[in-house]
Amino acid sequence: MKLKRSLAPTLLILTLLLGASLLYGLMQSLGYLTIIGEKELSLTAYQNLISGQGTAGREFWASLGFSLWVSIVSTILSAIGALFLATLLNRRPSNFDTFALNWNLAFPHLVWGVFMLLLLAQSGLLARWAGALGIIQSPADFPVLVRDRYGIGIILTYLGKEIPFLTLLILALLRTQSDGYLLVAQNLGANAWQRFRLVTLPLVRPALVSGSLLVFAYIFGAYEVPALLGVRYPRTLPVLALESFTNPDLRARAEGMAISLIIAFIVLMIAGFARAKEELQG
Amino acid sequence: MKRLIFALLVFSMLLAACAPKSDSATADFDLADWDSVLAAADGQTVTWYMWGGSDSINAYVDNFYGVALKERYNVTLNRVPVADAADYINQVLSEKEAGVENGAVDLMWINGENFFTLKQAEMLYADWAQAIPNSAFVDWGNPAINRDFGEPVEDLESPWSSAQFQFIYDSARMDADSLPRSYADLATWACEHPGRFTYIAPGPGAFQGTRFVKGALFEISGDAAQWGTVDEALWDEWSPKVWDYFNKFKTCLWREGETYPKDEYELHSLFANNEVDFSITQAIVGAGALIDEGLVPTTSRAFVFDNYMIGDFNYVAIPSNASNKAAALVLANLILDPEFQAAQVLPENGFGLGFGIDVTRVTDPDQVAVLEDALANLGEAATPAEDMAKSLVGDAASPYQSMVEEGWRENVLIGQ
Amino acid sequence: MKKLLIWIALLAPLLTLGLFALSKGWFYPEPFPAQLTPEAFSRLISDTRTLKAIIDSLLLAVLVSLLSLIIGYPAARAIGTQDFPAKKYVWLAIFLPTVVPPLAIGMGMSILALQTGLSGTPFGIILAHIVPTLPYTVFTLAGVFARYDENYEYQALALGASPTRIFFAITLHLLAPGLAVAGLFAFLISWSQYLLTLLVGGGRVLTLPVLLFSAVSGGNPTTISALSLLFLAPPVLIIAATARFLGENPNSVHERI
Repeated sequence: MKLKRSLAPTLLILTLLLGASLLYGLMQSLGYLTIIGEKELSLTAYQNLISGQGTAGREFWASLGFSLWVSIVSTILSAIGALFLATLLNRRPSNFDTFALNWNLAFPHLVWGVFMLLLLAQSGLLARWAGALGIIQSPADFPVLVRDRYGIGIILTYLGKEIPFLTLLILALLRTQSDGYLLVAQNLGANAWQRFRLVTLPLVRPALVSGSLLVFAYIFGAYEVPALLGVRYPRTLPVLALESFTNPDLRARAEGMAISLIIAFIVLMIAGFARAKEELQG
Repeated sequence: MKRLIFALLVFSMLLAACAPKSDSATADFDLADWDSVLAAADGQTVTWYMWGGSDSINAYVDNFYGVALKERYNVTLNRVPVADAADYINQVLSEKEAGVENGAVDLMWINGENFFTLKQAEMLYADWAQAIPNSAFVDWGNPAINRDFGEPVEDLESPWSSAQFQFIYDSARMDADSLPRSYADLATWACEHPGRFTYIAPGPGAFQGTRFVKGALFEISGDAAQWGTVDEALWDEWSPKVWDYFNKFKTCLWREGETYPKDEYELHSLFANNEVDFSITQAIVGAGALIDEGLVPTTSRAFVFDNYMIGDFNYVAIPSNASNKAAALVLANLILDPEFQAAQVLPENGFGLGFGIDVTRVTDPDQVAVLEDALANLGEAATPAEDMAKSLVGDAASPYQSMVEEGWRENVLIGQ
Repeated sequence: MKKLLIWIALLAPLLTLGLFALSKGWFYPEPFPAQLTPEAFSRLISDTRTLKAIIDSLLLAVLVSLLSLIIGYPAARAIGTQDFPAKKYVWLAIFLPTVVPPLAIGMGMSILALQTGLSGTPFGIILAHIVPTLPYTVFTLAGVFARYDENYEYQALALGASPTRIFFAITLHLLAPGLAVAGLFAFLISWSQYLLTLLVGGGRVLTLPVLLFSAVSGGNPTTISALSLLFLAPPVLIIAATARFLGENPNSVHERI
């Protein structure tokens, strides 16, 4: 009984708000658009996407590939970076270290993206300095780091944001831990790699896996950064979804909504798979 | 699972049940009696949704309309800056879906693509644009006014200003004699100067890019007027030639045509930072307002090709569920006042688009003097008036908008 | 030396934004602006819209993080300290809102909010923001609770302390870092929320990210940078102020009991 009371507020708020919102979204993706008088439910939007037809559908597969590329690369590199940093700081992160890690939590993704753009664009701050120093002759000589075809700018932006986030998540967990195991391992003669693999990694893996999933979910569904730093083609799925959704042609709205739900579905599949694997490994 | 769905349904119904039953805020004025409109507007706040990306336009709206509304009519202006007009169109459409009668939006700054959407959804307050006093200054017989992106206006929106497609170059970098003066010239120029030209990607929210491609369609087909009505056969005949044109010099473009600027402002930035040599504008003052805002170099100047530079009007509209229609009407009327029409074209005031009214309809000598004075002070960054007039053509019929956008995307951007 | 490099890296975003915010008509290849002018800031600060946006955004984020902590605390504790049959499903239900993109939630929710009259109201926006913040709060706290030793509480209980006293004297002390981190995450998520505010607020609720996004569409680096700096000020101050607290080493938490 007490258990139910503890869980009820969180579960009620989340499931009801999410459920009701998704219900409306689903209806829209099925073409229930009362504005243009369409009340027939149909799977047209989904069929368009799968078969690569329709306003947004033609780009669906390219967008899906691009989104997966950006999200997976960003997530994996962030997790590796965070593990590395957290291990480095594990024993006694100094106040300054923690401060440095916390620091860019203060930068919302949009601002961080603006910063990357001002810094790395072909005529950005670094290019201006390079130009003034005579290293490059014209902006075109500067490497294309943002608004590039391969999403480098998007990935760089996410690395800068997500590595500290994951590091903090791991550290918050390690902080409540005593150093016992590590000391024991050290006394038994374990080297740094063994201590990491046998003590730290098992300890932080659950947090790292769920943290990485959050990061992946965030990146896969985020609009702001790819909208700011992406190219016109290919676009990530969320950008394609929102732009279809706000397309003056109302029929594209259902496709936009359908893409959003597909994003949600894909992330859920991956999250479910990762958890199942985690459980199998014990 | 069943219980969850049940809970969801109950929750939704509960929420719906406690929704406020809004009473209609209209019908307290008579459009035929302007004084009754003024009386109804007294004390109201008019919420004006408009694109808010330009500081100078924002300041112009607040300093001119905002102040005058308060002083003259006791109406408060609540300007809501939005990143993309599509966002407030969505708001209005969503309100309609939810049956909200007291809408958030009183007045909207829109252009043709959004107008078409709102008209299609029957979300516009009707029969008012020709009823407000200052609509006497509007030339409703002009097809460029009574059609918006080719769609009949039908008294659903009122003009604010006019615009015409132009290019910007930097007089410190280039000589006026060396400028390309046609699309054919431009392609040659671009390949002689690899990487120094690009244009805005056509698409929803970037109509300048669409307009640039339409101009090419006009020039290649040799006639603008034939595109005033939809003709599939004509489109099938000429559109492949247009894609050929763009694909041929694609590799000569900035970043070899791998990507394109998303909007006018990204292109301004590329131009200002010497990444490319041309930008695009719609303003009657050419580069004037952009120079004042510090977006482009002070030596920037505007120019046009010899032909096929599309011009049109932009409008304000009132959603049918607007809460403060009287105040919205007062504002829409104020916009057309010759005094403010003169103010909006002056580069130092920050707006910089052209007249929405037909200045020959203004008879009051003082007002005529103000308008003439404004025209004489457009600044040196503007395209010469005779060049503008010579090259002006009307837009194509509205269905071509999405045909051009999708065709370009398919054949040029994604391409072979 | 290493510390100096880190400082440069830390301050680079602020310095870059600051340089652009104080510039006017600064173009490639000039390495620095020809003149520095606070014009953009004075323009923003003299605009009541910006001031109101700052206050609204702050109030909103504080309320949302407090509510998230209060609502999420019991759930996080239950998940972190107890084993129960439906735990997997509870976890999933809390996980769901973090994976469903804000766009998918926001669009449906905007219509829901319109139908219930919550669109554009503070309550509606708070509800909307809680959907993404609450899961993060619960996750963070549950992670902390999983390593939390409830025996301290039992001992205190056995010694006759009241539940309220136990909560304030023991639980809160033990959990302070976790609570701080959880609250901070909630604050930052709410503070930087753009899509949900836009969709549920119907544009009537102007928070700083909404203003910033609108400025970004105008492409003026001076305005964008100045607005970004205003947007950054509260989180930067909070992080700077709490860094010491966050940086406490684990042992001192135990020693204080």
